Amino acid sequence: MSMLRIRDPNVRGAARGTLITVLVILAILLGAVLWLRGPGPMEFAAGQKVALAEYHATDPTGVPAALKDATQIARGEYLARAADCMVCHTSPDGKPYAGGFAFSLPFGTLYSTNITPDKETGIGDYTDAQFLAALRRGVRDDGARLYPAMPFTSYTFLTDADALAIKAYLFSLAPVHAPDRADTLSFPFNQRWLLGVWSWLFNPDQRFQANPAQSPEWNRGAYVSEALAHCGECHTPRNVAFALNNRKKFSGAITAGWRAYNISSDLGTGIGGWREDVFVYLSKGHAMGHGTAAGPMGEAIDESFSHMAPEDVRAVVTYLRSIPAVASSDLPATLAPPADSSHKVGPMTVDSRGKEVFEGACASCHDWSGVSPISTFATLTGSRAVNDPSATNVAQIVISGTRRITPPDILSMPAFGAIYSDAEIAAVANYVTARFGAKGSSIGEHEVANLRKQVAQ
Amino acid sequence: MSQPMRLMINGEVRTLEAPEDMPLLWALRDLLGLTGTKFGCGIAQCGACTVHIDGKPVRSCMLPVSAVGNRPVTTIEGIGATPAGAKVQKAWLDLEVVQCGYCQSGQIMSAAALLAATPNPDDADIDAAMAGNICRCGTYVRIRAAIKRAASGSGAKEAT
Repeated sequence: MSMLRIRDPNVRGAARGTLITVLVILAILLGAVLWLRGPGPMEFAAGQKVALAEYHATDPTGVPAALKDATQIARGEYLARAADCMVCHTSPDGKPYAGGFAFSLPFGTLYSTNITPDKETGIGDYTDAQFLAALRRGVRDDGARLYPAMPFTSYTFLTDADALAIKAYLFSLAPVHAPDRADTLSFPFNQRWLLGVWSWLFNPDQRFQANPAQSPEWNRGAYVSEALAHCGECHTPRNVAFALNNRKKFSGAITAGWRAYNISSDLGTGIGGWREDVFVYLSKGHAMGHGTAAGPMGEAIDESFSHMAPEDVRAVVTYLRSIPAVASSDLPATLAPPADSSHKVGPMTVDSRGKEVFEGACASCHDWSGVSPISTFATLTGSRAVNDPSATNVAQIVISGTRRITPPDILSMPAFGAIYSDAEIAAVANYVTARFGAKGSSIGEHEVANLRKQVAQ
Repeated sequence: MSQPMRLMINGEVRTLEAPEDMPLLWALRDLLGLTGTKFGCGIAQCGACTVHIDGKPVRSCMLPVSAVGNRPVTTIEGIGATPAGAKVQKAWLDLEVVQCGYCQSGQIMSAAALLAATPNPDDADIDAAMAGNICRCGTYVRIRAAIKRAASGSGAKEAT
């Protein structure tokens, strides 16, 4: 070592100082990386995890009992729905699974890909190994990396059998010729190789492990929620590296311009007080006194949860109940009761257009009290959206409306984004949160303009 | 898939077979022949399709027929049998509110619900109840006058 040959004690001291500095910097970097990586999604639960082969209770993976003897394609269809592949892999006017759905990000737009078995533009040439690599490691057939908009850090927990059943189902669909749309991400976000580093840091790249200290139902719930339904991708906040921060697991985040609310077991701002209503909400996208799922959660209900076996939804509920409570400091813990049935009784907001828009466009369905005379699906009272002083989802629903398809007596709301200005939408959102919520909002037209831009299409 | 169902409409029990997600308006017009209620926008934004359910004004174009349940429905064909509806219809004729008439069954249904709940409405009450009913002919001035006339039983001619 050349350093040892240096005789001058000052130089030797300086060299040692440099070495220590480098070591300290490396230690800090390593610490920062480890801290950023944080705990995995299921590490909050007590108990030693074991590989599935060593777990002797009911298999938490696969399909519900009624489908155990079904064909691989039928099992794959169930699993593909539970994993909700279609919603992101279908553009608004496109064919199912043919891709083209746009993710609008601050640094450009990313488009989902065609996962029909078309050989030229889809995944028709994928081998089993290539499919598994894409689904669980985020690596395309040409070796390029996928962006984590594809939730491979969740799908990584899928078993081979389940992943390949999904592949069999996708390959049973009619091939659709639909070339992928080019992403418009700016430098350095367009450098896919960087995602290799990201994946190395943040993708556990490991299959689901059972936790014998927890009930079989909890284990099934963990598998459905984490490996399939990927709840955390929207409901868990992200860190500076855009990876899930499981220290605040399921405590809510903003995704695609919508606020995915706190679904931890916090009593006031999570769903700790919901009890049986969690099951009802996940099954129907609505529970009395808790509002109606809209936006991305509405799609998740319509295309995924409403197709699940009741025992799987129950298992998800059991799992959700075990999530540690994390309070959302900006949300009121007590929800507002119904407003007065007279338009004259209630708070006035700064911009009088709020009430004018409400009386012309909203009151006929939502009523002045917020309790809809038409359908409980249209009742505002008790919904988190009107009790959210950011008014994000209220403004978003006014802009985009709701497009729910299940159950048959569901009511959808028309989109008002094209007929009202940003200022009018801000005014009505502020009026709605003031009238029906525990704490009114004060959003402006710039926030509404920003929300319009973020909506995925 | 069509389902057999029973609806209480204008005091009568009517039976019909309709898909669960068929809007009440379609069932009224196409299956039961009650064509007084009109289709306007189809997205609950113009008020032409207004009927009463449990006495409250609702837009029948967006309400799935299966969501009505046992609640009584009143349409423009039956509103004259209610005290408020009779007063509103008389005031409408006295002041000749109607221009082309397409929106008017919805206007009358909203006005009758307003007067049943608020017998002496002021202008703000009328705005709150009637703003969702659109009239392309612009009869709003006469609508307001007729509501006031129906409420007081006196004329409001100066407003016409």
